[in-house]
Amino acid sequence: MLSIYSPALDGRQECTVPDAYVFDAVRSPRGRGKKSGSLYATRPIDLLAQSLRALSSRNELDTSLVDDVVIGCVTQTGDQGACIARFAALEAGWDLDAPGVTLNRFCGSGLQAVNDAAAMVASGFYDCVVAGGVESMSRVAMGSDGGAIFDPSTLWNVGSVPQGISADLLATLGGITREDCDTFAAQSQQRAADAIEAGRFSRSLVPVTDRLGLPVLEADEHPRPGTTVETLSELGASFETMGRQFGLDALTKERYPQVERIQHVHHAGNSSGIVDGAAAVLVATEEAGKSMGLTPRAKIRSVAVVGTDPILMLSGPMPATRKALRKAGMQASDVDLWEVNEAFAAVPLAFINELEVDPGTVNVNGGAIALGHPLGATGAMLLGTVLDALEDHDKQVGAVTLCIGGGMGIATILERV
Amino acid sequence: MNAATTTENQTVRLQFDAQTHVATLTLAMPKVNRIDAAFGVGLGQALDWAAAQEGLRGIIIDTAHRDFCVGADLDTLFPERDPQALLERVGHLAGLYRRLETMSVPVVASLTGSALGGGYELALACHHRIALDDARVQVGLPEVTLGVLPGAGGTQRLPRLIGIQAALDIILQGKILRAPKAKAAGLVDALAADPDSLRQAALDFIAANPGAAQPWDRKGRMPGPRAGSGDARNLFMAACGMIEKKTAGAYEAPRVALATVQEGLAIDFDRALEVEARAFVQLAISDQAKDMMRTLWYHRNAAKKHEGLPHTDSAGIKKVSILGAGMMGAGLAFVCAKAGYDVVLRDINEATLQTANAHCIAQAAKLRHLSDEDRRTLLARIQTTLELEPMRGSDLIIEAVFENLDLKHRVTQEAEPMLAPDGIWASNTSALPIGDLAKVSGNAKNFIGLHFFSPVEKMELLEVIVGDQTSESTTARALAFTKSIGKLPIVVGDGYGFYTTRVFSAYILEGAQLVAEGHDPVLVEWAGRSAGMVVPPLQVFDEVTLSLGAKAFTMGRKYGRNLDLPGVSMVEALVADGRTGKAAGAGFYEYKDGRRRGLWAGLKAHAQGTPNDSSVELLRDRLLGIQALEAARTVADGVIQRRRDAEVGAIFGVGFAPGTGGPLSYIDRMGLSAFVAQMDAFADRYGERYAVPDTLRKMAESGDTFFEAV
Repeated sequence: MLSIYSPALDGRQECTVPDAYVFDAVRSPRGRGKKSGSLYATRPIDLLAQSLRALSSRNELDTSLVDDVVIGCVTQTGDQGACIARFAALEAGWDLDAPGVTLNRFCGSGLQAVNDAAAMVASGFYDCVVAGGVESMSRVAMGSDGGAIFDPSTLWNVGSVPQGISADLLATLGGITREDCDTFAAQSQQRAADAIEAGRFSRSLVPVTDRLGLPVLEADEHPRPGTTVETLSELGASFETMGRQFGLDALTKERYPQVERIQHVHHAGNSSGIVDGAAAVLVATEEAGKSMGLTPRAKIRSVAVVGTDPILMLSGPMPATRKALRKAGMQASDVDLWEVNEAFAAVPLAFINELEVDPGTVNVNGGAIALGHPLGATGAMLLGTVLDALEDHDKQVGAVTLCIGGGMGIATILERV
Repeated sequence: MNAATTTENQTVRLQFDAQTHVATLTLAMPKVNRIDAAFGVGLGQALDWAAAQEGLRGIIIDTAHRDFCVGADLDTLFPERDPQALLERVGHLAGLYRRLETMSVPVVASLTGSALGGGYELALACHHRIALDDARVQVGLPEVTLGVLPGAGGTQRLPRLIGIQAALDIILQGKILRAPKAKAAGLVDALAADPDSLRQAALDFIAANPGAAQPWDRKGRMPGPRAGSGDARNLFMAACGMIEKKTAGAYEAPRVALATVQEGLAIDFDRALEVEARAFVQLAISDQAKDMMRTLWYHRNAAKKHEGLPHTDSAGIKKVSILGAGMMGAGLAFVCAKAGYDVVLRDINEATLQTANAHCIAQAAKLRHLSDEDRRTLLARIQTTLELEPMRGSDLIIEAVFENLDLKHRVTQEAEPMLAPDGIWASNTSALPIGDLAKVSGNAKNFIGLHFFSPVEKMELLEVIVGDQTSESTTARALAFTKSIGKLPIVVGDGYGFYTTRVFSAYILEGAQLVAEGHDPVLVEWAGRSAGMVVPPLQVFDEVTLSLGAKAFTMGRKYGRNLDLPGVSMVEALVADGRTGKAAGAGFYEYKDGRRRGLWAGLKAHAQGTPNDSSVELLRDRLLGIQALEAARTVADGVIQRRRDAEVGAIFGVGFAPGTGGPLSYIDRMGLSAFVAQMDAFADRYGERYAVPDTLRKMAESGDTFFEAV
């Protein structure tokens, strides 16, 4: 029991820990993350502000009741520096009372924002929190925020390699071949194309517009429909030169001495696309929602984050998911649909192998290989994607999980209400 | 007429020219300029004195000796274990160098001789470096080769001067460059043809640069990627990869040096010197640095100077004959001819002689500093022949025929009469006891073993085996010959396998044994590499060929070695299957076009089963332990008479992990009691070959060590 002050409950109350509900989720389309990409000329603050505005306007949200705006953003420098969450909320025209905080858990940032919002709400200290994420990879280059991650001392003392090396190591350790990865990638493209064609993203997707109100981008522009294993087989491995010639593979050897030689299987076609995008998710207590006249779509059943070996780096989804399932008192078989971020094809493949889940339930609308991975926004986007898919397929339980730089993993389990 | 003021202290001779207003500080320490306490005091006084000269316009630092300054005095550094005391000393020197470059007059380093380590760092603290255009003059930062890093500003000044990548190339590998190459790399700014023009160039620089300041004290960018940029980060990451690829984590110094360059470049220069000083001290007081200094500096120098070895002023050798013109014979002929000997190279096979000839021509072509005429003269010293007669009158005959006792006996009987009176017969055997070989000799006191290593042009080590009957004069003359061909000698007693072959065999046989026991060959190789072995066991076994190993087993059994081991049977089985090694294109590894393609998957089928426990640590302990134990046995049975030879021989002959300082240093570092306990446990589990000799056990019990602890 907690004694808290709650405007929704009209005063100080003794109460049990409330449940956190998802009321709505929106996202921008994903633009190719380069200068020729449609969203390149749009500032990241505007990308995020448009998602926030879409969320508040279609739910007629009284933004003065938003206790916090928690935004995931990985490369917090340049256009994305200086607490973009606060200024995007203001740019969106939200009430001055709605503050903002920007967080960085690398690729897990967007889901971390959702989980933080859920935890804040479930703590009873907050009633209504907007979570989300933003990343304009075309404008703010990955890694341009510096950091000690690749300092020689970090490499010696902690262990750290570029992600592509980790992905190829994960594949090698799991016996996942180039052909496996290419097959998975072609399938991701096919599923995304089918989903777009069938309008399965339409509930969440909000076009990005310019200052004239004219559309800048209305649909995801990264997918390459028609991609096949054959077309992918022509691509050269992206991390082979770096790994073998520049010796970066050797940096994994001390921890994985049993690997005689890393098989370099990943390339641009079976790894996540570099894109721009933003997303926003409304999380609140049932009562707070009710007081605002909103109907919850799903309940957050559990959240989890774990640390794993920073060299292998991408194996976090498995323990994170196990931890989240344990907290929810569930089995993997209780989950109807999965979103496992396709950072690299080996990640969902290793996940499917290790948790022994039906591949037909994983990333049913394609994933980041086709659609792209706007680092800080992806987790929040995937939450909306799995919720939409649950509703489409009339299923109950969904799970979202992402691998994270530095060797972490994050997972969220939600259930429709 | 030259209004010069002069003075001197124990380090520096000082001269101030009242006309040019230039002070010349001549490093003039007794015998050789090296950085010790006196150096710091003397240089400090010299700067005070120079600063006090009326109208000082510039400073030239030169040398009274052959070398400019050869770096830190290891006698002071080696025993130091107190971090605070060392940090203060390093800080003092760094402060002096800093003062030198901020005196607001131009300072020029006049490099008429080599500037190494701290000596080159002094040159880096000058505004301009001019070297004599002479290959004898060398500059560089060899610190990492002794387990430390440049601690007098080198890691901070060099990258700021020539860029990160070029500086890392020098610092991480401990490179030393000859003057012309140093100029090309930017380590020196200019070359001068002779000392007079060098001095004039220095005076000209001073006149032209009155306000000289270091690049790091001026505004502007350093060459190449800027510190903190993405390009710099990629560069550092690639450097990490290269270090790891080359050293498998066996050395601390390059890792810490790299981190120091990166961390220092991120901050202000003065404070960066602190970062460097702390890193230097961390390395300098470490066990690895102590062990490397002891062996790679002290022991190696002692071996090079033949300390404590029989000596003669003249070897009395002019004509050298070599029997057997295989790889080794051909190489020996070339090495001897290069040293000025008249050489007769004899073989019974014309084709072999032709190949040998081609080898010598190719080797001569590699000597770029020679003129065509010099090359012709060199090659003309080598006479190849199918006959015995040309060998007549040889002062030294080196027998390099196949490793077969009967064959060696036959050629000895046949060719010994060709020796000049009192000539020396040397066998280049790698294992057969000299006493056995000398049985057929008419003059056993002049019979000696000279075990060269392949490729002989490159391998510095020479194992000199003194038989029971070998005279001291023969040993002394052989050693004088050794010096003349530039080899590094160890002198060992007689017995099957002498020293290096025993240690080496123990290593590669244990590698095979581990595979036979069922340990993952990938882990076995990694254990070897990460322990610091120059070449991992299965790879090197493939290189020397498994068939040679199998022959050695046969021979070893004759000499009473117990070789009843699964590893031995496995090697014999592989040989029977034609998997004889790299040359055959199949051994422990698979090969394609002579290049390793990975360990052979079929090895698992040769394993006896699955070991109860396996870990990289265990494999490392066994691979190094078995060699260290063998080395300890050679000390116990008198084959090794000077302990330094065990260290120098293992590192330079066998490729034993240099970072350990050698097999005996390895035991010392682990502690004799701990080592004995580990070997006893191994003997219980893995067999008799881990049996500890009594003398080692006694040493452990009495708290003895092989080398004095520092």
